[in-house]
Amino acid sequence: MLTLLRRYGTLIGFAAILLFFWISLPDTFMTARNWLNISQQMSMLIVVAAGMTIVMVMGDFDLSVGSMASLAGIVVAVMFTFDLPIWAAVSLALMVGLAGGAINGVLISVIGILPFVATLATLTMLSGLAFVVSGGKTISGRVIPEGFSGFARGGLSLGEWNGVAIALPNLTLVAIVIVALVWVLLEQTTFGRRLYAIGGNIEAAHLSGVAVRKLKLIAFALTGSTAALAGIMYASRVASANPTQGSSLMLNAIAGVFLGSTFSEHGEPRILGTILGVLILGILDNGLTQLSVDSYVRQILVGGIIILAVSTSSLTKHLRA
Amino acid sequence: MTQRNRTLRTFLATTALVATGLAATGALAQSKVAVITPYLAQPGTQFYVEAFEAAAKDKDWDVNVIDTAGDVAAVISRIEDMVTQNVDAIVLNVDPSQVSAGLQAAAEAGIPVVGMDAGSDPLLVTNVTSNGYAMAAETSTYVADRIDGEGNVVMFVFEAFPPVQVRSVVADAVFGNFPDINILDRVTPDVSDGGIADSRAKMEAILAANPEPGSIKAVWAAWDQPALGALQAIEAAGRDNEGIVITGIDANPQAREAIESGGNFEATVAQDFKGIGSTAADVVSRILAGEEIKQGVVYVPTKLVTIANAMAD
Repeated sequence: MLTLLRRYGTLIGFAAILLFFWISLPDTFMTARNWLNISQQMSMLIVVAAGMTIVMVMGDFDLSVGSMASLAGIVVAVMFTFDLPIWAAVSLALMVGLAGGAINGVLISVIGILPFVATLATLTMLSGLAFVVSGGKTISGRVIPEGFSGFARGGLSLGEWNGVAIALPNLTLVAIVIVALVWVLLEQTTFGRRLYAIGGNIEAAHLSGVAVRKLKLIAFALTGSTAALAGIMYASRVASANPTQGSSLMLNAIAGVFLGSTFSEHGEPRILGTILGVLILGILDNGLTQLSVDSYVRQILVGGIIILAVSTSSLTKHLRA
Repeated sequence: MTQRNRTLRTFLATTALVATGLAATGALAQSKVAVITPYLAQPGTQFYVEAFEAAAKDKDWDVNVIDTAGDVAAVISRIEDMVTQNVDAIVLNVDPSQVSAGLQAAAEAGIPVVGMDAGSDPLLVTNVTSNGYAMAAETSTYVADRIDGEGNVVMFVFEAFPPVQVRSVVADAVFGNFPDINILDRVTPDVSDGGIADSRAKMEAILAANPEPGSIKAVWAAWDQPALGALQAIEAAGRDNEGIVITGIDANPQAREAIESGGNFEATVAQDFKGIGSTAADVVSRILAGEEIKQGVVYVPTKLVTIANAMAD
């Protein structure tokens, strides 16, 4: 019983939060419509957090994901001002993400700078770059093609539920695809197992022949790409781009991964845990907004829940050690 | 220990949620109105949100003020949540073209959205704001009257930004109506540094090109920063006793101080932020009463600020 509670504590907390909102908002919370809304609202954060999980598996961080997302959004929008087709603008922005991530990888694995320092520096640089490329302005209006902003508004029709037409939003679909890819990568391939090996003991992994440098470089490049993808999704959702719009993603993604890691047996990040972690953040935002809880009180509650979940998880570790 | 912590965590989270939840589910029959903005930390926004809340209190509405701390995508998310909650009206304070995904959801649910200094959009019932044309009319007629309808005037304009562009249209018309007023220069300052420094440099060049006392009668600026820059240039050139009249628009604190001190900077125009908030509340109550709002924009009067009232409000 005790072990069960220890192992599934966060899950029980998650269920308690769900139950609480279900009881307090009987008509509007547990509806297909609301859950599809939440999935869409969280889709960008899920993509960033999925990418963040890849590097956090190795015990590293990427602080630059928020500015990378902003920059990717700006790149897409600026390309639209040159009348580039949507596919070309999006591919270019994704390549910027891949390149930015690879630079992080080189700084960390080849040059050997601590991830915190290296990505803090690239955070600043990418953010500056976003301002330079955009001239500090918000790019919006007619330059953004209808097909690009329409994507975030569209979805796969799921028929009717209680007389209301519902659809699986395109942004949610993108997030599901990314989560599936990251799940396969981390849980089903040698690459993923080696990342976990690095996270477990980098020296041992190195001695047993794992190409630590190469793997780290690839992992950071992937994280950069997912951050860029999230930035593009964000730009599509708001039909505009400004040089700071992705900045809230970074801390929330790290919070989501930390919350998620408390679901796993040894406290290591797992992609499915990350999804649950991000969902907790999203459900709190959605439910507390519906309950008219003050925005600032909401922030305090969210922070408090993260501290409680992660500190209990780390206490568990100490007790075991 | 661990078990206690886990239980304690769950318990704390739940009680906190229950407590805030109970506080929030006070009244049911009231009209529910949501105010959504990413900019609550900015002074102007605070003024109209507070005025809106004060007016809403008299009307006994249940007002939910939601700040997304600069995150525009989160504004869409919160609009969607308010649509789920089926609120009676939403008041928005962000560029509507950036949140049209949310506005679409509100429109489909038949929930009216009123802009509070937001910008015009077909998906808004109306937008409550200040009239840029009227503000420019106040300062340009002030200039024309002060120089008795004759002399050289320098204009600082910014055509790329629509809310400022409308101001210069009116000033052009007013000055054009005086045959003896001559527009000496029409300057677009570089605003990337805030606008004061470059306006000062441009004004210094114009002063150098027109050294005769009385060769420049007035400086009309479409907003306060260039007016402040021009003032600095005139003072630095030692030409502050020639009676050059300067006007700005927006009545920022620096401009008010300059006007109060009794120098060349003589007038600006103050937007009535509180009036925008309370008028937005009036518009919402008219909509809730079933009235159809015909104007796409509802203008709130502005006020000319001179030495007589610079520090009054």
